[in-house]
Amino acid sequence: MIIFKNVNKWFGSLHVLKDINLHIHPGEVVVVCGPSGSGKSTLIRCINQLEPIQKGEIYVDGIQVNKRSTNLTKIRSEIGFVFQQFNLYPHLTVLENVVLSPIKVKKVPRKEAEENALRLLERVGIPDKANDYPSQLSGGQCQRVAIARGLAMNPKVMLFDEPTSALDPEMIKEVLDVMVELAQEGMTMIVVTHEMGFARQVADRVFFMDEGQIVESNTPDEFFDHPEHERTKEFLSKIITHN
Amino acid sequence: MLEHFSFRVIGQYLPLFLKGLWATCWISGISIFFALIIGVVACGMRLSKNKFFQKLAGIYIESIRSTPLLAQLYFFYFGLPSLHVNLNEVQTGILALALNSGAYIAEIVRAGIVSIPHGQVEAATAYGLNYFQRMRYIILPQALGVTIPALLGQFIVLVKDSSLVSLISVLELTRAGQLMASERFMPAEGFFTVAAFYLLIYYILKYLSNWWQNRLIYMEGH
Repeated sequence: MIIFKNVNKWFGSLHVLKDINLHIHPGEVVVVCGPSGSGKSTLIRCINQLEPIQKGEIYVDGIQVNKRSTNLTKIRSEIGFVFQQFNLYPHLTVLENVVLSPIKVKKVPRKEAEENALRLLERVGIPDKANDYPSQLSGGQCQRVAIARGLAMNPKVMLFDEPTSALDPEMIKEVLDVMVELAQEGMTMIVVTHEMGFARQVADRVFFMDEGQIVESNTPDEFFDHPEHERTKEFLSKIITHN
Repeated sequence: MLEHFSFRVIGQYLPLFLKGLWATCWISGISIFFALIIGVVACGMRLSKNKFFQKLAGIYIESIRSTPLLAQLYFFYFGLPSLHVNLNEVQTGILALALNSGAYIAEIVRAGIVSIPHGQVEAATAYGLNYFQRMRYIILPQALGVTIPALLGQFIVLVKDSSLVSLISVLELTRAGQLMASERFMPAEGFFTVAAFYLLIYYILKYLSNWWQNRLIYMEGH
């Protein structure tokens, strides 16, 4: 589904991704964790080319995305992306936020797009907020709208960039519940998060990143109970003592 | 003092003033329309990644903003015919006003665009919207929203600047006042009436802008 071959990325002289190789299968849920600045957000932002890479190859569903001839719009419309700061469009209602891309990019008729959007809002638990503006919602509700917006494109994969980091503690669960449900329905997901409970519950694999490299990749049980690398142990000890 | 002020003559000249008012309104309206288009396009060029467009828009904006409107108007009025471009007075006036205001609007809109959080642009990009769709559906509606007070200020400036086209003998509000002043030797009455009509336009524009802003504030729910 998603393949990285020797991917390298620099921000100026800063080498943020170093020879990344990975292979994510359809239906797999992968959690990426690691200290800040380790390149985990950059890693998933490269998948839909929000960040260009300088060396290597990235394939999504068999199509190389980092090539000039690739139709990026089409690839992007098959990848849902959920941001830490939600990034909803504040001048549009919740419903308009969700239907904008289906109508404008996928050319879905408005009526059909709206019906689908209402179903998705129901699924993320906020059907009654369709006509509200984002500023009238709580952070947790905003993030669920953002997930609905991602699902509205009928994506093959959903990427989450620290989806709960900007939320108040009591709102984290409502967002994670939606994500757990999504994972259980078989969506391919890559989630950058420090929610280790989530990782244990639904992840097939956990990646630990440090200084631009995937240091460790394992099943959640192995990862948490028998971490191999010193840096992983150190990182986990910091996280777990705070939980 | 007021006993010398002749309202009667103002009444006599009212048809001329109304004709001038109407001319000021439509000349300003058309100029604003073109100025908005020119401004948005120039701003888009200035923010584009293409170096050539950036430079071109930069030269346009800088040269307009650094020279007086009157000089620009005279350049178009006297200069263009010598280059074998023949426009009538009204067309020349609209051209000068639209090009002049367009440069200021370009800078106003640019400030608005830069104020839109980059995350929204990223979200729109991630969801497959292309450059023009991002502009049309995400950036411009908001950028125009936050820039309304500044844009309105620019519209008011344009309405007032349109009085300069009286100097190339277009009959508009100020010209009507000049005519009355010179035919009846009543500059006080003539230009007082002119001022009153400009004030009227100002209040209408201000009212429209308040209405528009309230609507936006409601939409954003602050």
